[in-house]
Amino acid sequence: MSTETDQEHPCLPGGLIALEQWQAPETSIRKTLRTGVRDILDQLRASIHPEEQAFRSLDDLPLLTPDRLRQYAPPPDAAEVTRAILAQLETREALRGRSVPFLVVPPFSGLARSLADSGRRVITPPDNLLLSEQDARSWWQRQLSGDHWVIPELADFWLRHRSGLSLLKELFALLASDKAGTGLIGCSSWCWQFWANYLPELPVAPVTPAPLDGERLVRWLDHLARSQTGQSLTVRMTHDGLYVLPAPEQAGQIKYSSFAQDLASLARGNPGVALAIWRRALRARPEAESEGDDVKSEGDLEAVTSSGPGCWVAPLDQLSLPAVPQSVGRHSSHVLHALLLHEGLSEEQLALVTGLSHREVDLTLGRCQRAELVTVADTGTYFHVTPLGYPAVRKYLLSRGYPADGFGE
Amino acid sequence: MDESGLQQALESISSVAVAEALALVVIASVLIVLIQKLASALAEKLSGKPRLYLLATVPLARLLIIVVTVILIVPILVEPSFENMVAIFGALALAIGFAFKDYINSLIAGLVTLYEMPYRPGDWIEVNGYYGEVRSIGIRAAEIVTLDDTVIVIPHGVLWNTLLANSNDGSHNLMCVAELFLEPNHDVAQMQALLRDVIYTSPLTRTYQPVVVAVTDTEEGMRYRLKGYPLEPRDQTRFISDLTARASEVCHEQGVKLLCRSRRE
Repeated sequence: MSTETDQEHPCLPGGLIALEQWQAPETSIRKTLRTGVRDILDQLRASIHPEEQAFRSLDDLPLLTPDRLRQYAPPPDAAEVTRAILAQLETREALRGRSVPFLVVPPFSGLARSLADSGRRVITPPDNLLLSEQDARSWWQRQLSGDHWVIPELADFWLRHRSGLSLLKELFALLASDKAGTGLIGCSSWCWQFWANYLPELPVAPVTPAPLDGERLVRWLDHLARSQTGQSLTVRMTHDGLYVLPAPEQAGQIKYSSFAQDLASLARGNPGVALAIWRRALRARPEAESEGDDVKSEGDLEAVTSSGPGCWVAPLDQLSLPAVPQSVGRHSSHVLHALLLHEGLSEEQLALVTGLSHREVDLTLGRCQRAELVTVADTGTYFHVTPLGYPAVRKYLLSRGYPADGFGE
Repeated sequence: MDESGLQQALESISSVAVAEALALVVIASVLIVLIQKLASALAEKLSGKPRLYLLATVPLARLLIIVVTVILIVPILVEPSFENMVAIFGALALAIGFAFKDYINSLIAGLVTLYEMPYRPGDWIEVNGYYGEVRSIGIRAAEIVTLDDTVIVIPHGVLWNTLLANSNDGSHNLMCVAELFLEPNHDVAQMQALLRDVIYTSPLTRTYQPVVVAVTDTEEGMRYRLKGYPLEPRDQTRFISDLTARASEVCHEQGVKLLCRSRRE
């Protein structure tokens, strides 16, 4: 159901909620069982066919051109998201009067970029994160001297090393004593989970964007396309012709696919992951036109698409998303976990936090890059987990006992 | 016992019936071996809960096969009348009771093990000074694999009068302790805080489980016990080694000397 917040801020569907209120999008028992069995089979199959790791599409339909993709599924507008966040922070009863609101966001949400463009004074981390507690205290005192500061991503301010914790320990101490001035902190959910365990008495009550369920996801994808084309995008499934977009109230009696619910469930309500998969699934034309009785005819589609642009989307089971090679030892999982914990690291930093040698890190990164699980940033220095690989990486790390973020089952 | 009843029951057994019964026993045995091998092989490919669930099904599947086999064999061999049953099982009980007392003792303990589950495949247990992971639970004995990759066969009968320590009790949570002895006269609170950081920053730590640094003043020096949970029970050796190595680095940086065994004594 569409809420007031959804209509007011379509770029931030559901608005901000308390972290404890977050719940994964609902999924059917049948789908949960099917996913569980498929996971086990994947684990077994991976040891038989280790080469089947990277993304491949199981259909041969033409992909959208990069221009079309930018038009139909663009990244969210950072400025608009910033405005929505700030408006939410001001209007939310629980957050009003709080000097330093704390925003916990899942990976790939793009909110860090939005906060950096918020017009507030951005605090960037020092080059050397291995500081003594005294040095860390002095550094924060200098940085927090003025008001209206913003830390877009707190995960950039620490390293999981015994000498790399000082900055955050000191910051939390300042927050506890209310000596941090007025600001805003964004923090990755993985980083937050570590620190919530490390300092169980943390003096902050974080908020987080509401998870995208199927309905919110449809409206959000519709909003993204509309922001570029000025019109609603019409998207139908390639295999049965059922509709995914436009959002239901605009299309009258047409029949909708469960694609959006499945995508929301696969992405665990994470908009960044959902958008990445959505972009991979969009197609220029279907393999075969659906002629089913219960589906609108091609003429009807033309009637709908005549009012705006249209394209097609391949079913999720025809997309083979990147998978974690099951045969790998602890090296890959240490590296993947460290990358999520810190929202990206350099090779040097990876060696420091994982305790692996530079050669081992190098080999592991190469393997993860080939499997499309890890990508290197434009600067060529920092490595990140890919949004397409994230669902598999998260599941893999959980199965290996790693502490994951709180956006769980 | 009614000897004539037993005699009558046994006289009615034909060679064909014996052959059929033997064939059933062979099939059941092959099936049990297959299930054990297959489950072990598949479990090696899996991790987390699916691995434990799969391993736990093996003893139950075997029990089921044995029960079904007995149910199928008895009517083949003898007419399943009350008198015949009393006669056969009475005679068997007497013969087996004397000849295979210890063996039967372990078999019964094995059945109790299935019911009470003092250990399951995947558990890390210590019995009579032997510590290892339960690899399989057989009819008569359980096999554990020690940290040095040695297989120890433990008859279930041992359970009647032996203390058994189970480190993870069917779960994936296994606390490990890395122990250090340090020279006294240092800042204990600071050292505790640093060693706590050591546990939290080890990549093998389950940070969502409790982390404790306990310290006691002993005649041998200040005894620090770093307690934490490794990612998986199988990581325990690596985990303890990692904590020990990292803690040693901290002690070195702080100028606090580690006491080795010879110096402690």
